[in-house]
Amino acid sequence: MASDELIIETHGLVKRYGKLTAVDNLSLVVPRGAIYGFVGPNGAGKTTTMRILTTLITPTAGDAYVAGYSVVQHPREVRRAIGYMPDFFGVYDDMKVWEYLDFFAACYEIPERERPALINDLLALVDLAHRRDDMVEKLSRGMKQRLSLARTLAHDPEVLILDEPASGLDPRARIEVRELLVEMARMGKTIFFSSHILADVAEICTHLGIIESGQMVAQGTVGEIRQQLMPTREITITLLDRVDEAKEALQHVVGVTAVEDLPNEHGRHRLRVLFTGDDTGISAMLQALASRGLPVVNFAEETRDLEAVFMRATKGIVT
Amino acid sequence: MTAELSTRPRGSLRRHLFDNPVVLKELRGRMRGARAFVVLTIYLALLGAFASLIYVAVSESSTRTSGQANVGEIGRTLFGGIVAIEMLLVSFIAPAFTAGSISGEREHQTYDLLRTTLLPSRALVLGKLLSSMAYVFLLLLAAIPLQSIAFFFGGVAETEVILSFVILVMTALLFSTIGIYFSSRSRRSLSASVLTYAFATFITFGLPIILGSIALVLGMSFSSIQSPQAEVILLYALGFVLSTNPAATALLTQYILLDQRTIGTFSYTLSGGQTVTLISPWIPFTILYLVLTVVFFILSVRRVQAIEE
Repeated sequence: MASDELIIETHGLVKRYGKLTAVDNLSLVVPRGAIYGFVGPNGAGKTTTMRILTTLITPTAGDAYVAGYSVVQHPREVRRAIGYMPDFFGVYDDMKVWEYLDFFAACYEIPERERPALINDLLALVDLAHRRDDMVEKLSRGMKQRLSLARTLAHDPEVLILDEPASGLDPRARIEVRELLVEMARMGKTIFFSSHILADVAEICTHLGIIESGQMVAQGTVGEIRQQLMPTREITITLLDRVDEAKEALQHVVGVTAVEDLPNEHGRHRLRVLFTGDDTGISAMLQALASRGLPVVNFAEETRDLEAVFMRATKGIVT
Repeated sequence: MTAELSTRPRGSLRRHLFDNPVVLKELRGRMRGARAFVVLTIYLALLGAFASLIYVAVSESSTRTSGQANVGEIGRTLFGGIVAIEMLLVSFIAPAFTAGSISGEREHQTYDLLRTTLLPSRALVLGKLLSSMAYVFLLLLAAIPLQSIAFFFGGVAETEVILSFVILVMTALLFSTIGIYFSSRSRRSLSASVLTYAFATFITFGLPIILGSIALVLGMSFSSIQSPQAEVILLYALGFVLSTNPAATALLTQYILLDQRTIGTFSYTLSGGQTVTLISPWIPFTILYLVLTVVFFILSVRRVQAIEE
């Protein structure tokens, strides 16, 4: 049974197409209110998982729950709870922007009298109010993507399931979509989105799931994943002088595994410290240097970017 | 910012017929711009030109043979000609509207979007059918003034007009539903169109030829027996064959109306002198076409409902 804090939950999910196993014993956990980045190389099983969660296909084995409802037993309740955006934009010829939203709002059983105000609100949110009466097919790709996002919100769903929302967009449109996702999360929506572009995920998501060959490689908060896949933290210290003394002091701090010399920069000495402890340990490290009156001019933790984490998790099969 | 999700009673007639989002969307698209009106104008111009040709041809020949124009015959021929053209158009326009209805959603990549909404499968299929029928109705209604010209000449009763309308609507209904059925089975609209037209052509031309040949062979073997039962069976078999075909149904119904003055049942005297009761073919035709429409409608809904395994 699904728990209340989790908006999406799968247990041992399997999807086979003949001999091909697209999703292999996948257990997914998305907490309510999260921005969950579902990352993996092309063909890893992201879209198949999303199609199961949106009731478009049935799993071969395992369970999947969205908002507490089984996708197999209660597909209608699941559809009411989700806003789905596939990785392509479905275009109707001969349809104006407002008509597109009106049609889908009607499909979600929104009463006719409420639709005009709703459409105006949605268009304002995605910054398309000025294109209200234009034909959908005349919009740019980025605008279509924003219109698609507006469509997913028509029935005020709890969770948005977005398949590659930034795929194929120019940098500006990509940033706009990213900002919209953050805005939607601020509105209280849980966002579950897939991507094979790490930059899209790294900047906005609170949670991360890394999938490869249909299997979940790692999942959790971004911090947890970094910790899980890259347990060592890296601190760079810049000193004016007394390098050996500093090395000596650092060796005595609990959690320090290695202290290495880095090439000098503008005549300043630099050290790289590999550390396995928590933030209290880092504070203790700084205090150890300061209490000896060492001339520290810079003390910074190197943030390991998600790309490095991803490369390690997916054995390099990244596209 | 967004509206509260409303839940209205499911299955209400208003929701299905008049509040169907698919009907509204399809009609908006179809009637937008000049295209719909250009099609209607060309259709009426062709129909008008054809009616004029019939008038000229029939009045000429009628004057030549009897010395004076038989206005009743002109009226009947004019009416019959227009109905025949309408039947041809309905048989081939109705499936054209629906053969791409579901497969077109797949091609436009909107099928998945629709299936993740709360729109029931039957509302999607019904919406496609109703929007197609609405345009067919428009074509048929627009031709009524042309048909009415026949009344100036006489020889045509209101009953004939109503019956011809019923037969045309039934034809459009079944052929539209068959279009939706093949569209729901096909990934591409092109293959759906090919299958639909093959089926429509089979019903219009193929089936009568096959069943007619069978009835003829049976007739020849029965006539050698010369039994009244065999003659009755043959009559009913022929009646059934004719009832599968809209054109044959229309012609025979009109013949029975003029000959027997009835649109229901009538008595027929067999070669042995006994009489049997027969039904005007438009009745079994309507029942058969309605049943087939319901069957194909249910099959289409099931197909749309099916979740990919």
